[in-house]
Amino acid sequence: MTMITSNPARQLFRFNAGYWRATPGPFKVGAIILAAHALFAVIGTFWTPYGFAEMGAGLPLSGASWQHPMGLDQIGRDVFSRFMHGAHIVLLLAFAGTMLGMVAGTTLGLISGYVGGWFDEITQRIVEAMISIPFLALALVMIIAAGPTLAGEPVLIVFVVGLVYAPRITRIARAAAMEIATREYVAVAELRGEGTWSIVFREILPNAANVLLVEFSLRLSYAPILIGALGFLGFGIRPPTPEWGLMISENRNLLIASPVTVFGPGLGLASLVIGFNLFTDGLSRMLGQRPVMGA
Amino acid sequence: MKKLIDVRNLNIAYGAKSSWTNVVQDVSFEIAGGEAFGLVGESGCGKSTVAYRLLGYGTINSLVQTGEVLFDGTDLLKLDTNSLTKLRGNRIALVPQNPTTSLSPGMRVGSQIREMIAAHRALPDGMSMQSRIVELFALVGLPDVGHRYPHELSGGQQQRVAIAMAVACNPDLLVLDEPTTGLDVTTQRQIIQLLGDLRSRIGMAMLYVTHDLALLAQIADRVGVMYAGQLVEVAPCDQLLAAPAHPYSRGLITSIPTVDGTDRRAQGLRGVLRRDQMSTGCKFEPRCDFATAACRTTPQVLEPFGEMRSVACMKWREATVPQTPAVKPRPGARTAAKPGRLLSIADLNLSYGKPSIFDRFLGKTSPSIVRDIDLELRAGEVVALVGESGSGKSTIARAISGRLPPRAGLISLDGDLLASTLKSRSVEQLRQIQYIFQNPDASLNPRRRIRAILERPLAHFGIEMDEMALEGVLENVGLHAGYLDRFPEQLSGGERQRIAIARALLVNPKLLICDEILSALDVSVQARIVELLRSLKEKHAVAMLFISHDLAVVQQLADRVAVLYKGALMQLADTDTLLDAPLHPYTEMLLEAAPGLSKDHYVSRPPAMPASKAVHGIGCPLAGRCPRQVGTICAETRPPVQETGSGFVRCHVPLDRLLFRQVPIATNTGDSIHRAGTAPAFSGR
Repeated sequence: MTMITSNPARQLFRFNAGYWRATPGPFKVGAIILAAHALFAVIGTFWTPYGFAEMGAGLPLSGASWQHPMGLDQIGRDVFSRFMHGAHIVLLLAFAGTMLGMVAGTTLGLISGYVGGWFDEITQRIVEAMISIPFLALALVMIIAAGPTLAGEPVLIVFVVGLVYAPRITRIARAAAMEIATREYVAVAELRGEGTWSIVFREILPNAANVLLVEFSLRLSYAPILIGALGFLGFGIRPPTPEWGLMISENRNLLIASPVTVFGPGLGLASLVIGFNLFTDGLSRMLGQRPVMGA
Repeated sequence: MKKLIDVRNLNIAYGAKSSWTNVVQDVSFEIAGGEAFGLVGESGCGKSTVAYRLLGYGTINSLVQTGEVLFDGTDLLKLDTNSLTKLRGNRIALVPQNPTTSLSPGMRVGSQIREMIAAHRALPDGMSMQSRIVELFALVGLPDVGHRYPHELSGGQQQRVAIAMAVACNPDLLVLDEPTTGLDVTTQRQIIQLLGDLRSRIGMAMLYVTHDLALLAQIADRVGVMYAGQLVEVAPCDQLLAAPAHPYSRGLITSIPTVDGTDRRAQGLRGVLRRDQMSTGCKFEPRCDFATAACRTTPQVLEPFGEMRSVACMKWREATVPQTPAVKPRPGARTAAKPGRLLSIADLNLSYGKPSIFDRFLGKTSPSIVRDIDLELRAGEVVALVGESGSGKSTIARAISGRLPPRAGLISLDGDLLASTLKSRSVEQLRQIQYIFQNPDASLNPRRRIRAILERPLAHFGIEMDEMALEGVLENVGLHAGYLDRFPEQLSGGERQRIAIARALLVNPKLLICDEILSALDVSVQARIVELLRSLKEKHAVAMLFISHDLAVVQQLADRVAVLYKGALMQLADTDTLLDAPLHPYTEMLLEAAPGLSKDHYVSRPPAMPASKAVHGIGCPLAGRCPRQVGTICAETRPPVQETGSGFVRCHVPLDRLLFRQVPIATNTGDSIHRAGTAPAFSGR
């Protein structure tokens, strides 16, 4: 008799060569790219070849060399050092923002899907209104509304990313909740007289976890683009902090003179997004879920 | 007789390259032209896999390892796709399990049949396509419904269309994969009748795959019993039922509940079919009462004995069951002093959907699903609600549990009026009524461990219970503490239903609503759950409202039976009285349709006045279908309630005339009526 007595959660964390081999290809590639990014970010937090704001690290616009793999910008800062230091900023902002959107969107969506009725109607109309505004426009409106004192603060960026994502996540969570709400174990809980919160978080949330996990990693893969775009437009993190989008923006006039200064951060962003996407693709295949692209 | 199909040493495995699992092992049987062969076994025994292979059909991840399927001398397993296509439908046809999903919903049924005939160019000479289709419909007892879409037909009619399609090319062999599972008892009988009729007219052979031995008794000449991918016994049907040789066949037959009144305390089968604990010898060894050490290591092969029989057991001669047909150990509680009233329902009317303001303005009301229900339950009593699908059984249960506010009527528990909605009921009232659902897969949260599933109601109702007591409850339902840390998916269907029962009992309810809790389970598992419920009833004195479509199961458990038809109570009576003297024409129809373990030559009685339809909400709903209808009065006025000794009958026919049966069902009175009803009725939700 094959009884599963050991804790499966413990097994999950132990690296198992068998499991790894069984995962789909995109998952493996994605995981490796993301692990490299994480490692790079951790190192960049503690050590960089030069200071990220150190001017005159070399001759400005001197191009790529062994000392300066990504060249130097207009005021002689080492782009590679800035790039390294920026890695953890991009990752943290993306994570925090998506997390916030996830928490808000999931809560609202699950309750809206389970409760239904006028609450659902009102929530969905608001959500639809927010989705109908393009990503960037909505983010810019929020930043402008927040006023100059908050502009450039990481907290604001996190909030903006969260609020832009929340409505989209709400839709996904609501759809999942509506389907799960028809299951009989939910009826059993209702017959017991459980409250809405208890049913939503005890009965529905664990069963929507697959869908939400895929949604989370999909959103996460778009977050660096959004943050980068904000940075590029000058609404992101306040300079000198080397956020990648901001770096592309700062160095864009050097595209002819020293293109490598733009390629570095650009390649970083691209590889991060590709890594996330592959990871999501593999994860959704493993969980048997299909990510809703482009939402 | 000439062999039509000959299966030799068929081995089929499922899986992938690295790990094949043997699903079918060394199955050999043959079917002669015109013969009906039945394959029977529990779910997962490989019977459908074999059946589909006879059509040369296998799924992508299955592989025939060895063996041959000779059809008229050609090996189907070696044929290429083209020749198979020519054969399928034309010479070997399939009647699938579920007609609702096997008929294309967007195509008129006539053109679906036309497609079949056209594909095989099987139009008889000198006949137009249209007349052939009409002829086919007539053959299966339908009017010309060719212009209808599948959703416009009832489940039984859909299955008839599927059969018409299958016989359209006059096949030599008809493969039927559980064709009546999911249909009502009465419809099921009509289909079986039709199949027998078709067989004698067309002369085709049949392979009938089912889990229901009682059905096979009605139709099959020979039966093969399958267990864990092997044939364990092959015998002529009547001989198998009269004297089963293999211990597994015996267990299967004793598991089948009977309506004959004797109470055999089904010495059903222990355990379930588990492919992960197979011994190298006899596959049935872990569950066999006669197993010895030799059984574990010696593989068993089919050995012929007697005339035309064979069995795969080396000990079948010694292994005789001490047949102790216990003489009706009717629980004494039935005659004991009547305890107080627990639940009473008065004038209950139910409908789905709230009328909108617009509808109210126009004076429109949605039709009642359930009308004028009066029912009482005493403490510790088991009352069964019996009826066909769509009769409103579950709807009534929903209203009692508070999930569907009634349109009119009162429900009271223990003398206190129950509020119509869940939110306005007190916690105490919620605790006292517990509900067990039909499908345990859906009623246990798949992401929670059994411990969490069981502890949540305790925490919610504020009941203190220590680990020991929790284990005690599990033991009560025949499980042990080892289950506490598992997830529902690691349990079998029967074990899950036990957990659901344990969860309901844990909070010490007064009323247990069991909504078709057996219909998703195998016959052998059913027998043991019934046993469990019976012991719980004696131990805990909990009242049960037992909803079922299966009179045989009800008979084993219930004190009183309420018969429901299209939302109206037709009859209420003590179980024994009801079975001895059904009185109401509808009850009679239900009882007669239940197939027995021996051929009972069932003939459905034609309705007396098929044209008269009940005036909705007023007339007797059975009007137009009733074999004893007395006139248009039935359709136009409300049938009066006639008191009988233990309950009532709602019928226009006077009691003394109801007692006298117009058509004596002689074949049924003498021998027993058995019923292996696992046909899950459409839950209607």
